[in-house]
Amino acid sequence: MKKESPEIAGFSILPLQLPGTPVLPEPATHYLYLRPHEPRVPDLDSVRSLFVVNIPIDTTEAHLRHLFGTQLSAGRVERVEFEDAPTGKAHSAPAIAAQGNLVKSKKRKRVTADELQSQLDEVRLPASWDRQLQKSGARAIVVFVDKPSMEASLKAARKVGKKGKSTIVWGEGIEDRVPSLGLARYVAHDRLRYPSRAELLLAVNDYMVVFDQVAEARKREEARKAQEPDEDGFITVTSGPKLNSAAREDEMRELVERQKKKSQGLEDFYRFQSREKRKEKQNELLRRFDEDKKRLEDMKRRRGKIRLE
Amino acid sequence: MSSHSSKRRKISPENDDTSENPTRPMSMTRSANEAGNGLPGKQQSMKSKNGSRSSSNGVSAEVAFTGGLYKSSFFKLQMDELLTDLRPNYEKQGSRAHEILHKLKEIIENLAEKPPQSIVEAEKELQSAHGVAVPFPNPRPSKDAKYLLAYSKPANVNVVGSFALRTGVRDADCSTIDLAVTMPDSLFQEKDYVNYRYFYKRAYYVACIAAGIREAKDLDHQVKFEQQDGDSLRPVIVLEPTKDHGSSMRVRIITAIDNTVFPISRTLPMKNNIRQGALVADAGEDSSTATMFYNAALRSDASVAQYHKVLYLATTKCTSFRDACILGRTWLRQRGFGSSFHQGGFGGFEWAIMMALLFEGGGPNGKPVLLPSYSSYQLFKAMVQFITAKDFTKPLTFFNSEAVLPHGQPILYDGKRGLNLLYKMTLSSYTVLRHEAGVTLRMLNESRDDNFERVFILKVDEPLLRFDRVISIRLPLNGDTLQSVHHQTSVHKVLLRALGDRVKLVSISGQCIQPWSVGKRYVVNKESNVINVGLIVHSENSMRVVDHGPLAEEKEETASFRSFWGDKSELRRFKDGSILESLVWSDGPSAPSIIYQIVTYVLHRHFNLAEEDMVFVGDEYDEKLRLVGDGTFSYSDPSFQQISNAFHSLERSFHNMEDIPLTIKQLLPASPLLRYAALQTSSSSGSRRDPMDIVLQFESSGRWPDDLSAIQMTKVAFLVKIGEFMETSGAAVSTQVGVENDGTTILNTAFLDILHTSGLAFRLRIHHDREQTLLERELKGKSNSSRSKGDLAYALSTYKRIFVQAPRLTQAIRNLCTRFPLLSPTMRLVKHWFNCHLLTAHFSEEVIELLTVRTFTQPYPWEAPSSVMAGFFRTLHFISRWDWQEEPAIVNLGGGLDQSTVDVIKNKFSAWRCVDPAMNTVALFAASDLDIDGVTWTQYGMPPKVVAARLSSLAKAAMKLLKAERSGLDLEELFDTSMAPYDFVIRLNPTVLRSRSSSSTKFKNLTGLSKESYRPSTIIVSFVQELQSCFGNSVLLFQGDEQSTHIAGLWNPQMANPKPWSLKVSYSTIPRSYIDPTNQDKDTVSINRGAILNEIARLGENLIQSIDVRSQDSEDK
Repeated sequence: MKKESPEIAGFSILPLQLPGTPVLPEPATHYLYLRPHEPRVPDLDSVRSLFVVNIPIDTTEAHLRHLFGTQLSAGRVERVEFEDAPTGKAHSAPAIAAQGNLVKSKKRKRVTADELQSQLDEVRLPASWDRQLQKSGARAIVVFVDKPSMEASLKAARKVGKKGKSTIVWGEGIEDRVPSLGLARYVAHDRLRYPSRAELLLAVNDYMVVFDQVAEARKREEARKAQEPDEDGFITVTSGPKLNSAAREDEMRELVERQKKKSQGLEDFYRFQSREKRKEKQNELLRRFDEDKKRLEDMKRRRGKIRLE
Repeated sequence: MSSHSSKRRKISPENDDTSENPTRPMSMTRSANEAGNGLPGKQQSMKSKNGSRSSSNGVSAEVAFTGGLYKSSFFKLQMDELLTDLRPNYEKQGSRAHEILHKLKEIIENLAEKPPQSIVEAEKELQSAHGVAVPFPNPRPSKDAKYLLAYSKPANVNVVGSFALRTGVRDADCSTIDLAVTMPDSLFQEKDYVNYRYFYKRAYYVACIAAGIREAKDLDHQVKFEQQDGDSLRPVIVLEPTKDHGSSMRVRIITAIDNTVFPISRTLPMKNNIRQGALVADAGEDSSTATMFYNAALRSDASVAQYHKVLYLATTKCTSFRDACILGRTWLRQRGFGSSFHQGGFGGFEWAIMMALLFEGGGPNGKPVLLPSYSSYQLFKAMVQFITAKDFTKPLTFFNSEAVLPHGQPILYDGKRGLNLLYKMTLSSYTVLRHEAGVTLRMLNESRDDNFERVFILKVDEPLLRFDRVISIRLPLNGDTLQSVHHQTSVHKVLLRALGDRVKLVSISGQCIQPWSVGKRYVVNKESNVINVGLIVHSENSMRVVDHGPLAEEKEETASFRSFWGDKSELRRFKDGSILESLVWSDGPSAPSIIYQIVTYVLHRHFNLAEEDMVFVGDEYDEKLRLVGDGTFSYSDPSFQQISNAFHSLERSFHNMEDIPLTIKQLLPASPLLRYAALQTSSSSGSRRDPMDIVLQFESSGRWPDDLSAIQMTKVAFLVKIGEFMETSGAAVSTQVGVENDGTTILNTAFLDILHTSGLAFRLRIHHDREQTLLERELKGKSNSSRSKGDLAYALSTYKRIFVQAPRLTQAIRNLCTRFPLLSPTMRLVKHWFNCHLLTAHFSEEVIELLTVRTFTQPYPWEAPSSVMAGFFRTLHFISRWDWQEEPAIVNLGGGLDQSTVDVIKNKFSAWRCVDPAMNTVALFAASDLDIDGVTWTQYGMPPKVVAARLSSLAKAAMKLLKAERSGLDLEELFDTSMAPYDFVIRLNPTVLRSRSSSSTKFKNLTGLSKESYRPSTIIVSFVQELQSCFGNSVLLFQGDEQSTHIAGLWNPQMANPKPWSLKVSYSTIPRSYIDPTNQDKDTVSINRGAILNEIARLGENLIQSIDVRSQDSEDK
């Protein structure tokens, strides 16, 4: 084990020491798995990124920066993408309903509205946690400043892995740079979840201003689009913004309902109708009976015979 | 025939136009069936037994058949199954039985005759020569009696009863065969019916036979005496199979005499046949001298052969008679009824005779009630109906008997045989029977559910499940039935008068005497000294403090009232000016329940019983609830009323609100505290209470933005505005807008905490119904990835839960709590049970509430409970039997549950099981008529499958304990928290749990929250939630409510074994090669328990006092 740098399914293993606590003074060993990032659709950043699996639950960007930059002293980290953290794009999708339909036709004009949209997504209510936690066994992508830093980091990690026992203590030296865990964290949460009125109103106002701008921009684009021929030279005729589509839906539903009621009126009019109805009933009875039989078989299979308690 | 054919007509319309109908062959078969009407139930069941679905014709015939004659086809199918299972296998048993019976017959017929001897001599001879003690009934015959005892050859020896008639039920351990020995007429004198003389002679006769059988060596059976049907007047011989023999047959040798030996006129119910000195009076109520029980006991010996004939004729006349007997016997047995006096005196025999008699009369003008063409189910149901409808305390006679019959006790008098069939029933056991019949009839008439299980399968006689209060009274009894009858009747009478309308039913039962060896006289052991009383309480009346007696001027009534109540009765003047004799009971918080006070008082007064002679079960559950539930018991107690009042006052201030651009539609409560379902009710228990959820809805308006996150922002603006108004108007001491669900825009993100002037805190959320439409539309849209689909689905279900279902459930339960006063306390005690077993963190409180509501709104096979004890146990009973993997729990919450709703719910359930067969997100499924989705409170692993299984096994264990201990059950055992099954236990730091904010008064402004002051409960809740979201895959955490100081953990058993490494492994791991270098399996990993515990410890720094890990797990590392 000592000669080969430990690997598992292509991942290098980096053991870390988790510091002990008064409750469990014995430090524990944690294992990080890392590998150069190879996404299915590579982008510019992927060549200088590491894919890290099984990060401790209290991992923050600061932790990873510290780990690679100081503790392994190998490379500088530019940023960290966590698995669960909401990225701007993923969340804009549900926010604006119409967006999906618009994507195709108007690439150029969308820009302004989308810019505003992303600006809108930035506006949030104050957070109630001072620090996010990761799920146990979660992954992260660590983007380094350049490719050599990434490679050096991987090499340094392998070296530590080879030694078997780790001397790197997780988060040692940055205790004062990240909000602490434990009671303090929850007391802080209890405080942070009640932001001041001014803070809240500020966020709301900011949001509403941008929201109106977005609506405005979209409307403009819509209007422009209505006059612009597409690649085949056709102009799509639209009937203006569907502001009240919900109300219309309700209306339609009601209409359908009424129609149904109307057509119901003459059911027993012809003789064949009542005959068919009766036949249907008979078949229904048969079907029920078969179903019941099956149910009984099922029950017997599950619980054995019907027995008195 | 009449009712039968009318039933037929219902299903016959199909016949009308079958001529041009392809279903014709089917209906042909049906009419063929009609021709041979009253199809033997046996033939029917044979068909289903063979499972032959050979032709569609047969099926259709069955369908048609079941359409009218049975409750539902599924009911019939189950019934057929049950009947095949219950019918004894006579072919198999027959040969063996015949062998024994033949041998016995031979022995008995060849016994040597014994010449007449005096009582003393006869007894001495049997004792010394054969070692048999003559089982004389009490009182023993006097030594100087002039009549002589003799034995001569029986007139005949015959097999009678259910074995001979094939009406019996297969018994798990032992089936009994009755062998009747008819004593020759020559043994008796004309006057032998008086003063026990018949019974003395009979006892001697029985002893002689016993001696003979014992001496015959080639029988593998033990010979014992037993009281026939618990009647001490008539001891009989039983032959019990010896253990090594393996036979399961038990032979009972009963005696009979010809019915002409004593004329019927001598044993009429009102005759007095015990005419000597100081004796216990008989059960006769109207006339103090009538010896009804004695007369009937004698008469029943005289009618053995006759009744056998009656039953035989009935089985030949009506083909489904046997099956109906089996059904009836089963139904009775599940309710604890049997022929024996101690089992209520109404068993399979009485059922069969009554049914046979009803073929001949019983209806108006003596018309028959039953028809031979009835199916077994119809016979059963008609019997149940008859028992419910007819009041036998107004005597019912058959065959125009002229006999004078007393009122006030159950009598079904067969004039031809001269026997009151119900002679072994006391008034109390009759009331219980009628009560059960009434409940069963309602079950059978219910269209929603077939109730098959509840009618036949469930055992419903467990006293703690059946009654609201159970009392065991120790009385000096000597095993004499006449005395027991007397005692039971008088205890019943006293309790009934004392408790009046506080109870619906008083059940009294005794203990039977076990068979005893023929060499001894029977021993009265301690258990048989006990009378068990069960009460079904009337929940509205049971708590009444003052009882009004008669007016002071009504001298006679007053005197009787005073003599009954003694010093307890006092004259009082009431507001309306009347002066009444009255009783005042104590209702102080430390006083025992009023029922307890009354029962102990009257039993002491009338039977001179001290409190030590009584064991009273039921009150301790109320006590327990008071103890753990902040002293609150009823929904009408001040702490709940204070909460309700605060809510209503807040509601009023909302409606007066100005400066809000939208009008308010409604303010709805949505918290367990606001529906009387929270265990902890007051903030005095230390921690500052968490705010109560309320939901505000505005009238719909077009001014809302049509975008989810914009809606959330608008809500914030509203909340700020509302908060300001509440503060300035003085309705609230302080308000504070809080944020939740960080980082998402599709869930509700803000709420308003309002500290009301009453000191109670509310948490307000705004309900905007447009959110649902937006979420649904988003969900339907195709552009989203599956991940965000999951988020949206989660958001939608959360929306429905918080804004739709929680207020709806709250409203419904509030209503139910006023309808069922015991619902609120029961829900709270059940919650405490969940707490004690550390299940709370895995269950929404609402599920627990739903399951408890079910006990009240669908109480069958009982009625809605009127005590915490019964409600609690029945809820556990339901949980223990709930096969949650295969069936949904369907609760009638709003009263609108019908068949179609049930069908819809069942469909939804099977759909869920199809989508998620491994039950990863939905394990339990609990729907109601107000929430047909059924997963509102259980989706997303609430609880996970493992925990649901644990709940089942805990409930099963509780039921097992209940069955084993019966009324001796120690309730602390049920609520005992065991830490044994867990892998590790996290002990929380007690200084954190103790509220640091307790120094601050209730009215302290909330905004004054400093670092030092926090709600410990919210802290713990947040901590556990985070643990669960971080380690949900690898660790199961068990916790009670916020008061509990422990969190127990269990490693997920699925993670115990090493796994090949992959990205899907979602917990902290160790590479195998690190633990064990020689390991060849390089790419496998196992769970890193040390690191996980370390992370837990670091996350809970200062919160955790210690973590105890069970040793064997640390060895793994």
